[in-house]
Amino acid sequence: MIVLDAVSKWYPSGIRPALSDVSVEIAAGEFVFLVGPSGSGKSTLLRLLLREERASAGQVVVAGRDVARIPDRRVPRLRRIVGCVFQDYRLLPNRTVAANVAFALDVIGRPRHVVRSIVPETLELVGLGEKAQSYPDELSGGEQQRVAIARAFVGRPRVLLADEPTGNLDPATSLEIMDLLDAVHQAGTTVVMATHNAALVDAMRRRVLELSDGVLVRDEAGGGYDTAPVPPLATALPTAPATSPPTSPPSSAPVPASAPSSARIPVQPGPGVPGTPGVPGAPPSPWAPAPRGPVG
Amino acid sequence: MRPGPLAALWWTGLRRNLAMTASVIVTITICLAMLGAGLLLRAQVHTIDRYLLGQLEVVVDLTDDITAAQRTDLEDRLHSDPAITAVRYESKQQVFDRFRRDFRGSPDVVAGVGPEDLPAALRLTLADPRASGDVVVSYTGLDGVEGVRDQRALLQPLYRFLDAFTIGAFALAAVQALASFALIYTMIRISAHGRRRETAIMRLVGASNGTIRAPFVLESAVAGVVGGLCAAGLLVAAKILLVDGQFTRQSTFPLFGWSAVWESAAAVLAVGLLASAAMASLALRRHLRV
Ligand SMILES: Nc1ncnc2c1ncn2[C@@H]1O[C@H](COP(=O)(O)OP(=O)(O)OP(=O)(O)O)[C@@H](O)[C@H]1O
Ligand SMILES: [Mg+2]
Repeated sequence: MIVLDAVSKWYPSGIRPALSDVSVEIAAGEFVFLVGPSGSGKSTLLRLLLREERASAGQVVVAGRDVARIPDRRVPRLRRIVGCVFQDYRLLPNRTVAANVAFALDVIGRPRHVVRSIVPETLELVGLGEKAQSYPDELSGGEQQRVAIARAFVGRPRVLLADEPTGNLDPATSLEIMDLLDAVHQAGTTVVMATHNAALVDAMRRRVLELSDGVLVRDEAGGGYDTAPVPPLATALPTAPATSPPTSPPSSAPVPASAPSSARIPVQPGPGVPGTPGVPGAPPSPWAPAPRGPVG
Repeated sequence: MRPGPLAALWWTGLRRNLAMTASVIVTITICLAMLGAGLLLRAQVHTIDRYLLGQLEVVVDLTDDITAAQRTDLEDRLHSDPAITAVRYESKQQVFDRFRRDFRGSPDVVAGVGPEDLPAALRLTLADPRASGDVVVSYTGLDGVEGVRDQRALLQPLYRFLDAFTIGAFALAAVQALASFALIYTMIRISAHGRRRETAIMRLVGASNGTIRAPFVLESAVAGVVGGLCAAGLLVAAKILLVDGQFTRQSTFPLFGWSAVWESAAAVLAVGLLASAAMASLALRRHLRV
């Protein structure tokens, strides 16, 4: 679904590359965490996938399209199959929750009857059916992020990019958002989530890509936030409520979350394992049907 | 995008940007009213042209002592001239009758003049009435010719007057067009700033470039149409109040009719719509990264 081949990115003003020689492959239906310290190039990588920026070298392929070769007028099509959510939600304050979600369909010209049926359905899926007529400033941060996810998902994209979606949220709310993203993943969407939230990464045990100064230093299937094995969920997430423990049992050796970077192992080339099967506790059936709507 | 959501975007933009939009509309109205006035003045020139071309002729005044041979000779020459399509003789009495008819509005002028005071004449119809100068030159001074008058030349001051006003109106329209562009440019900049969240989201969810630009172009085009309607209203008001209300009683010429008003109004509306949309598209290149 996503292939980066020797991708480098220099910003015009940058002294060193924001990404250098990154090669990675993400299969359709995978869930991937993107971690790394501030400034390591996570957002840059996501922007390349959206064609917000172009790679300075190398090739970026998303859903079979060489992103750099897409003519400008076709870029919107790419963005219709690649949804994204951000730390700051980016909702329109003068529109209701339902109108915010409907906006995403309206502006790509979906017919009204489609908008009328999909929007309430999607709001139900993210658990905001009750709040459809509220305004963003009447919602908590977690609820706003749910709206943002609903907006990104309402067009049933094949890929969902999330740039620190839990960055402004408390641990419990972060977990709820994580559940939601996991449900999106269960629905067959490829999800790439950039995050600093070690607890979440450790809890989910999914494929982890780690960047450091623009270099891909780790590609680990079922990895934690740091290279070394992580402590059990109970200690990592003091406030963790409903989420069940990860499916792949972590090693029991507790290591502080801030393990020194020297402990990181080198890049593992090639694709990681596809997304692990459903996490128990994720919303079941409504997400399951195959993606609807135009997917290309 | 469907019309409903587009209209909603336009409406929020309008409310956010009301004062700016109002000033754009005023400027566009003035610009288009000037343009319309220029068009009407040109219509007036054409109206006079049409009226006069049938009436105005080159007149060859004959001397009183012209001989029959001289007159035959002169008429032969006139008939064989390709620039002249018709030659008509008017006796002194006929000339006098016409004179009385033309000046029936001014009895003082007619009072002291009798049939004997005016020369008999040959009235020429020209193939191209605007090329009267050559004809005047070639027949002046021939035997039996007292003088050659181009009646159209009498109207030069009127034409100059109308032309000057037409040019003035168009020049003002051009200046106002520049002002309109400056204002639309500013309006788009302000609007792009006010809509930056919306445009960012539209871009993100894959709205086409046309869709992202549509609300801006619509905003400007609506201002253009409203300005065009106001200007058309001014033209109609000018026709009713000034032309029909004042000038018809004073003018010795026919004045332009309603069809000229409707044509100018339609032109003004079309220019308002298209030019403002085009100006918006131009300004968008500068202010909206798509
Ligand atoms: N638009 C830009 N122009 C110039 N340099 C940039 C730009 N955006 C990012 N950079 C630089 O590129 C590098 C990577 O930035 P990036 O935003 O991708 O990091 P990040 O991993 O997302 O960081 P964070 O975790 O803080 O969000 C940084 O050194 C940053 O200063
Ligand atoms: Mg970032």
